[in-house]
Amino acid sequence: MKISTRGRYGIRLLLDMAAQGKDSPVTLASIAGRQNISVPYLEQVAVILRRAGYIRSVKGAAGGYILLRTPAEIGIGEVLNALEGDLSVVDPPLPGEKETPLQRCLRAAVYNKLDKTIHDTLNSLTLETMLCKDDENESAYMYFI
Amino acid sequence: MKISTRGRYSLEALLYLALQPAGSRESTRSIAEHTKISDGYLEQLFIPLKKHGLISGARGIQGGYTLGKKGMNTTVGDILRAVETTLSPVPCVEKSGTCAKERTCIARRTWKKLDQKIEVCIDGINLSDLKQTYDTLSREAAL
Repeated sequence: MKISTRGRYGIRLLLDMAAQGKDSPVTLASIAGRQNISVPYLEQVAVILRRAGYIRSVKGAAGGYILLRTPAEIGIGEVLNALEGDLSVVDPPLPGEKETPLQRCLRAAVYNKLDKTIHDTLNSLTLETMLCKDDENESAYMYFI
Repeated sequence: MKISTRGRYSLEALLYLALQPAGSRESTRSIAEHTKISDGYLEQLFIPLKKHGLISGARGIQGGYTLGKKGMNTTVGDILRAVETTLSPVPCVEKSGTCAKERTCIARRTWKKLDQKIEVCIDGINLSDLKQTYDTLSREAAL
């Protein structure tokens, strides 16, 4: 039940860019410094995010990356899908593989339900909702951004 | 975001026990036969499951395994927590102190929320719910 490092770092990269504002390009080196993630790792993640159409690179002395969508348009579920592929908790049966009745029952009552919970939770979130305080108990976080 | 083989097999084994008549004891061999999980693997899984009181074993001719003290109220959460190393989607939610940015990280809030939803989901399903689903599915298959 893990979200991989790639998924987590990708979200942090986008969050950091969103928090910096969208006017000027953000360099991976500056994100690396703020987020404490190595530049080569960020580069790998940035390639995936660029191909998936979330960010664009700007060349030149003042170059870097810019967000191609507003934070409200970037859903956490879809970003994780782009970074990690399928998020389901148990792989679907292989073609030709027959599930036992016990497995069929668990798939219906547990795995599908968990997948839906995860899917719904992540899809209810965007970069913007992550950046805004949506929970009064944790409003203290806002001041650190 | 995967449930490990240990987790899946444990759920299958406990569901199998839940489907047996109350009070009956099942040998590892018969559980293995019905779940298609090797007895060796089952024996391995039964160590933590026994330790957490989710199943109880008796030796001897009438011996075998049966559900532990929570019986049909045992939840999917109980079972997964007993055998999975962790259920948290990310290490920083699992225990505090793993990351220096913990207090200020906005991503962590999201992971925490996801973590809580997962917990609520698996704690909300018990063996008697599973038995009900199983019975419904077998009735449908029989039609």
